[in-house]
Order: sequence, then C-alpha cells, then structure tokens
Amino acid sequence: MTAVDDRPAEATHEVGRDRRRKEDQRLITGRTRWTDNMQLQGMLHLAMVRSPVAHARITGIDTTAARESTGVIAVLTGQDVKDLQGSLPCAWPITEDQKAPPHPAIAVDRVAFSGEVVAVVAARTAAAARDAAELVDVDYEDLPAVLELKAAAADEALAHPDLGTNRSATWIFDSAEAGTGGSVDEAIRDADVVVEREFRQQRLIPAFMEPRSTVVDPTGEQFVMWSATQVPHILRLMLAMTLGVDESKVRVVAPDVGGGFGGKLQVTPEEIITFLVARHTGRPCKWTETRSESLLSAHHGRDQWQKLTLAAKQDGTVTGLKVELLADMGAYLGLVTPGVPILGAFMFNSIYKFPAYHFACTNVFTNKTWTDAYRGAGRPEATFAIERMMDELAVELGRDPMEVREQNWITHEEFPFTTVCGLEYDSGNYEAATERAKELFGYAELRAEQQRRRESGDRVQLGLGISTFTEMCGLAPSRVLGSLNYGAGGWEHASVRMLPTGKVEVITGSSAHGQGHETAWSQIVADQLGVPFEDVEVLHGDTQISHKGLDTYGSRSLVVGGQAVINAAKKVIEKAKPLAAYQLEANVDDLEFTDGKFTVKGAGADQEGVGLAGLALAVFAAHDLPDGMEPSLDADATFDPVNFSFPHGTHLCAMEVDTETGASRMRSYVCVDDIGNVVNPLIVEGQVHGGLVQGIAQALWEEAVYDDQGTLVSGSFVDYTLPTTADTISFVTDRTTSPSTSNDLGVKGVGEAGCIASTPAVVNAVLDAIRQYGVDDILMPCTPERVWRAIQHGQAGASRPTAEDAAGHFAEGEPNQDPPGPAGVTGATTTTQEGGQA
Amino acid sequence: MAMELHHTFTVAATPEDTWALLTDLEQVGGCFPGATVTSATDEEFTGNVKVKLGPIGVTYQGEGRFVERDDEAHRAVIEGLGKGLRGLGNASAKVTLQLKPEGEGTKADVTTSMNITGKPAQFGRGVMQTVSDKLLGQFVECIEGKLTG
Repeated sequence: MTAVDDRPAEATHEVGRDRRRKEDQRLITGRTRWTDNMQLQGMLHLAMVRSPVAHARITGIDTTAARESTGVIAVLTGQDVKDLQGSLPCAWPITEDQKAPPHPAIAVDRVAFSGEVVAVVAARTAAAARDAAELVDVDYEDLPAVLELKAAAADEALAHPDLGTNRSATWIFDSAEAGTGGSVDEAIRDADVVVEREFRQQRLIPAFMEPRSTVVDPTGEQFVMWSATQVPHILRLMLAMTLGVDESKVRVVAPDVGGGFGGKLQVTPEEIITFLVARHTGRPCKWTETRSESLLSAHHGRDQWQKLTLAAKQDGTVTGLKVELLADMGAYLGLVTPGVPILGAFMFNSIYKFPAYHFACTNVFTNKTWTDAYRGAGRPEATFAIERMMDELAVELGRDPMEVREQNWITHEEFPFTTVCGLEYDSGNYEAATERAKELFGYAELRAEQQRRRESGDRVQLGLGISTFTEMCGLAPSRVLGSLNYGAGGWEHASVRMLPTGKVEVITGSSAHGQGHETAWSQIVADQLGVPFEDVEVLHGDTQISHKGLDTYGSRSLVVGGQAVINAAKKVIEKAKPLAAYQLEANVDDLEFTDGKFTVKGAGADQEGVGLAGLALAVFAAHDLPDGMEPSLDADATFDPVNFSFPHGTHLCAMEVDTETGASRMRSYVCVDDIGNVVNPLIVEGQVHGGLVQGIAQALWEEAVYDDQGTLVSGSFVDYTLPTTADTISFVTDRTTSPSTSNDLGVKGVGEAGCIASTPAVVNAVLDAIRQYGVDDILMPCTPERVWRAIQHGQAGASRPTAEDAAGHFAEGEPNQDPPGPAGVTGATTTTQEGGQA
Repeated sequence: MAMELHHTFTVAATPEDTWALLTDLEQVGGCFPGATVTSATDEEFTGNVKVKLGPIGVTYQGEGRFVERDDEAHRAVIEGLGKGLRGLGNASAKVTLQLKPEGEGTKADVTTSMNITGKPAQFGRGVMQTVSDKLLGQFVECIEGKLTG
C-alpha cells in the first residue's frame, strides 16, 4: 500500500475546481514532445515542391539538378507514386450523386490550386532538402482558373474539366417535406414583413500555433507515424484504407500537438507523402512545414455566400426562414469538407421558433486551397447569418433588436423543445443568460449614450451588437451521422486501469491538442474513484496505447469522451465490488462506494471499509480473491451519445466607430454562456477568451485573399492579420447553468462557443453605429477602409472586395509614405516618366 | 496578379533612330537592368532577367517575340513569357510601344500588361510599381547613352 487518502469526504470536490492545468508547464516551456522535436537515427528531411500556379497541366518535371544536389537521397514526383498513393479520403459524401475529382497527394499531370504538391525531396538535412526542392524544374501549361465562388457556381471556367461542372453537390432540407414544420414558400407569401439579405462569409485560415509536422519510421514491424494531428485514430484508419497497408501494421502517435481549431482535423497529402518516402527509402523521414506553407496549403475555412429570406408578421413574430448557400470547397474535398456547411443546416433557425424552414446548400469547386473544418465548422456561418437577420428584422420593424429576439425565442418553460429541423434541444434558459448579460453590459445606459451621441452628431458613434446564439455540440450520435451519410460513428472510447500502487491510468480516445483534457479527465476520475487528482495519469493520442477512439473536434471531448471515462470508471467500481464484499465479509448488495471506499450500509460511520487502492494491490497479487474472480479491475467503455448538447449564450458588444476615419474600437464585450455544468472553470475561461478573439478576428481583421491569378496574397502574418492580445480588450464573462440531460456530468461543450457567438455581435455593433448613414451591411472583415467607404457612400462602399494589392507600402502619391529614393530617373534630365497602376 | 503599367519617356533623338534601336532586340535587351539576351533574331529573342521585388529575388528565363510591328507608324507589340527559376512561378508581359516625334526628340509611350504568379506576386505586389519605375529609369538612361553617345 502506498498513498493514504486523507482528503475531506465530499462527493464532487474535484469537478468544478479551477485546477491549474497539469500539462501547462511542459507545454509552455516547450520541454516536451512536439513532432518536430523527434530525432531518429538516420532520419531524412523532406521538402515539398509546390505549384506556384492555380490551374495548369504539368508538361514536364526535371529532377536532375535536385537529385545531384548535396545530401539528396530521393526525389519523387506524382508519376513515381501514382500507383501507390491512392486518393486522399473524404469521409462525408453528402449526397449519392456528389461529384468529386480524385485527390492525389502528389499531383500527377495537373495542378488545381496554387500550393499543391508536385514533387518531394528527401535529403540528409532540412536545409539541403529545401535547397534541392528549388532545383526541381516543373513546366506548367496554364489552364483557365476559376477563383470566385459565384463565377465558379456559374461554371464560367472549370476547376476540374473532367467533372464537367464546378457544382459538387446540393443538399436540401425542407421542413414541410421532413414533416417538422410548414412550407417556407407559403410563409413568405403570407408574410407581412419579408427581409432578404445576402451575406459573405470570407475565407479564413485556421492558423494554429504549431505548424504541421510528420515523422514516419518504417524500420520496425509497424510503420510508426508521429503527426501534429487532431485525429490519430482516424488518420491510422485512413492511411490503411488509402495506401492499402494493413491497419495493424500502422501505429499513429499524436504527441503534444500545438493547437488545431479544426485545421488538423485532416488526412493531409504531406502525411501520405512522408509515409511513401519513408517506405521508399527505408529510412525515418520528417516533414515540418514553414509558416508560409501552412497558410498556403493547410486547409482553409468558411467561404460562403449566404442568401436568406426571413418572413414575419407585423407584430414581429417570425413565420419562416429560407437559406440558400453557396459554399466554396476549394480545389478538392478533404476529410469532411462537403459536410462543413451541412453542419450549419440545423443551426440557422437557432433559438427562434420558426414554424417553417428551408435550407439548400450547393458545394462548389474553385482553384483555391481546399476548405474544411475550422472552429465551429458550419455553425459560426449559421449563427452569423441568423443573428444578422434578427437585427435586420428589428430595423425593418423599427424595434429594439433584443425585444424582437425575446419575442421569438424558445422560453425556458418550453424545454425540451423540438426545432423546425427536428433536433431536440434538451435544456436552456435564454432569458436568464440575457438578463445577466444586459446587467453586466449596462444595456440601457449604453443605448442612452448611443442616442446622445447620435443627437449631438458626435464624431465617434456608438453601436451595440447582440448575438443570442446556440450551437450543437458533442458530435455526435452515430445514428444521426449515419442519416447524414457520414463515414463513421460519433462514439468515444475510454479505459481505466488500476495500477498495483493505487495510481490510475485513464486512456482516452479523445486526442487533446491544447484543450487540457489531462487536467479535466483527472478531475472527473478523481471524483468517480475517490482517488487524489495527482494520482490520475491520462494517456492519449497513441493508437498503440489508446487503440480505439474518434478524437477531438466539434466540442465532443468532454460531452462524449468524458462520459466514456465515467462509464469505464463505474465499471471499475462494479468489478471491485465482489472483492470488497469478500474482504468485508458482507453481501455485495449491502455495499456502498463513496470517496474511494467501500463500506457496509448501516454499519456505522466509524467503520474502516476497504479502499480502491488496496483492492487494486490485492487484485495484482491475486493471492486471495473470491472464487472465479478475474484478477483485474481494469475496464473499458464505449459511449455513443443519444443527443447533441446545446450550449447557448448572450453576447453583447459595444463598438465605437470614428466616422471620420472609419476606425472602430471595441468599447465593451460581455458574454454570458450557458454551457451546463463546468468541470474546470479556468479551462472554460481559456476556451471562451480564445474563441471570442477568433470570432472577433473574423469580424474585424482576418481574410484569406487571392489575386486574379490564384496566388494567395495574404500568405504571411504580415498580410493575414491574426490578432494578438494587444489588439483585444478585457472581456467580461459569466455563466448561467442549465445542465445538459444527455450526459452524467450535465456538461455541454465550450470549445467553439466564443468563436461562434462573437462574430455577429461585433458586426451588428459596427452596423448599429453607422446605420444612420444608410448602411445595412459591411463585408467582413470590417476594416476601417470599408467602414469609412460605407459612411461616405452608403451601401456601395461597404461591399468593396478586399484589394489584392492591399499592402501598397510604397504607393506613390499616398500620404505618410517613405519614398524609396528618387523615382527611377537617375541623372537623365531629358527623360520624364509617369507611372500609373490600373 | 495582373497589372497594367504605363510609362512615358522622351529621348533626344529622332523617331527613326530611336525606332531602329528599340527594335534591335539584342541592344534593347542589353539595356534592361539585370537582363541577358542569349539569342535574338529580327522577330524573337530568348534570355533571362533577374529582378529583386522587395524580399524576393527572382530570375525569369524565357522568350519574347514581336506580335505586331509597324515600322512606318513606329508601333510595336512584344509578348514575353518567363519562367521563374527555383519554382517561383511564371511571368508574362505584353508590351505596347508607340513612338511619336516631340520637338527635336522622340516621345515613347510604353504600356505593359503583366501577369505574375507565385511568391513574387505575393510579396512583390506592394513594390511592383516602384521597382518598374526604377528599372525603366535605368533602361531609358542606357538607351539615351546609346543614341547620343
């Protein structure tokens, strides 16, 4: 026996505590195992040769110079691997007749976006590989590229000529057909008020902190792949299916992974390529991307045109919502690319009681980097659109936007509530969250100040933005995924192992990449088994240790994975019970388990009972067990949720807009989220704050911009303006609680909430500040230029696309420019010149 | 990135002399900063040009030819296509040249439509105008030297 548990007896003293995260010291100091830290004997380094053009036929590749370069071991092109590489997987064909091109890891005879891999160089050092990659000489014969989403939908040019169209699939949900509601067309026909708007969801880049990295060791019986991935289990399965390797001959390890935001929910060309090169050379290989490569070729997110029609009665009651989307897939379908906009299908109706609903989404190919999951995946797009629409409806009716929302949302007495798209919202209290948010925000005072500023014609106008959002979390009930043609289930697996010393190993299929699972799972298991927090070790992310799982995305870890852990822990207790009864010489039915100890019911408070740690040691020795008892307390559990969970919240934002410069400043941001019960409030705060900044960044700063040739011009952090703490204010956060009914903890998921809710709150606030200038929309990001143009020209200026040459750092004739020396004319007095850039 | 550049310069030489020089591809090529003409006939030329665009240095290797040449009207259209070495993407340009007498000398109008892909387009777009102005200044100086020297 080792540790003695002398903690105070209290049933839930770990869950709910703001424990500092166990994993942070090593993660923050970097003294840990990032994939790029791996060093293996004889390891080669890879560099990718990428297409600089958006759409072209490859007419020739000369690898001679690269092969002869110092330190180069191998150069492989698409021709070399075309019979080996298979086609990268798409696990979510949304319709039976979905069209998709083959998706080679290395392009064979045609490239379809700028950044696509055309060859790979393996060399003794990373520097040698990069130098040699520049020597690979590729001839391209340009093909017409289609870059703009609407042009692509109209088939103005074809991203993949063989498909004959850019339209991949159209997915439709109609409440009248599904029997979950009425007909939208009738609702629109009979409406007193119809609001029609079109919104643009700009393209974003997930921009996780740790660039992607993959190491493959082919020297053992199993191929071992270390990869900076969110999905080691899915990756292993997909490697086997794509490359035709036995699944049992592949082990995937996701060591410490530095963020993902959906950006590492992928099976990447580079992972396949690293595997192929390692197999080809027989030596361990490593590929680590540069930041430029990451921004260019790791999948992007969002990118939709959204057309919405909202029908309402004169009194403000909503009667129907019609949603028509065009979603940009980019050049290929990644792991869940086509399903991302479909995840939004169930969220446009949000918290409102629409009696009729129609959703149609057409997925379209363009010659750009492919899109896929990015924090929220489909749900931020939906939330943005509906929250913008509710503001538009309020403007149309001349009423306060909060009042219009309140009139239409599901009241707390109405739960459980079946929505117009057939989901059952189990719990929630929108009134409570809103009440608290308004109180913290000072809603009435700010409205009064806004009025004063308008009346006095203040140069700085104030706008208030609202977002009363909900989302579906805990992806996902397997049956639902099946009905959506998704290629896998949504369960999660966990094991609890009782070690002889009384320590506990928890194996989880959830694969953390910065979320703090190790801490949260320890808190949960400490309470379940009555062992100290410190005695719980959480193991994850290695398919040889955690052999089964579906990984981390879609705010599913705690809701699904956490429940699997609880179920496994409960089984441990059940397995220990006969031994405890045996030792206590009592009947199994007379035992109760609290705080890590079995005691006999009714035997008094002063009985010693037997502790779980002692039982673990007894099982290890197995000297004296009840007849027939298996000498193990370890247990596995696989949990498949029966429903999603539905976090919600009220986010309020106040923006000050300088009407002379268009610059906006965030004055105040308040969010009150209802995410059910909370395991660790500190982790929740971290998730909320990070999510808020990511969502605010979509509203104000970030956009992936392509030029007319298909070159990503915002391909570095100079031009892709990722915010830092210096760009943000202090947020006011609070919570209300209505526990989820779909899991024992009553938790709902928080990973995506901030990111989903904040974008419309900010844009609504900016618009609210300048609506008096005749503006009813501004394209995101709402840059000072767009805001200024909107104020000057009303609607026309607000929708100017982001200039491809936005970074005109030395533009002639602009104020405050540093002239780069005399403009060209050096001593030639008889020459004059004028420059003009169209 | 597609862009249109417009430049005008005057030289102290007759339109005929200027035309003769500007349509001599070997001579013209030699005047362009960073350019090397490797072969030239009356109609076409091959060569390479090194350009530094902000943080990106790129060598384009390629060829060009007259697609239109009117010796009477002193108007020519030249098309060039260059491949950026080290995987830096392609550049193509269509240059329209028109000479007109101006006083004692000649005024040249040069319109250039350019398409650039890859890293030079990404990183060089903010400096393209300035760089091309500077290159043209040096080019004109060289041409003048040849005409008046």
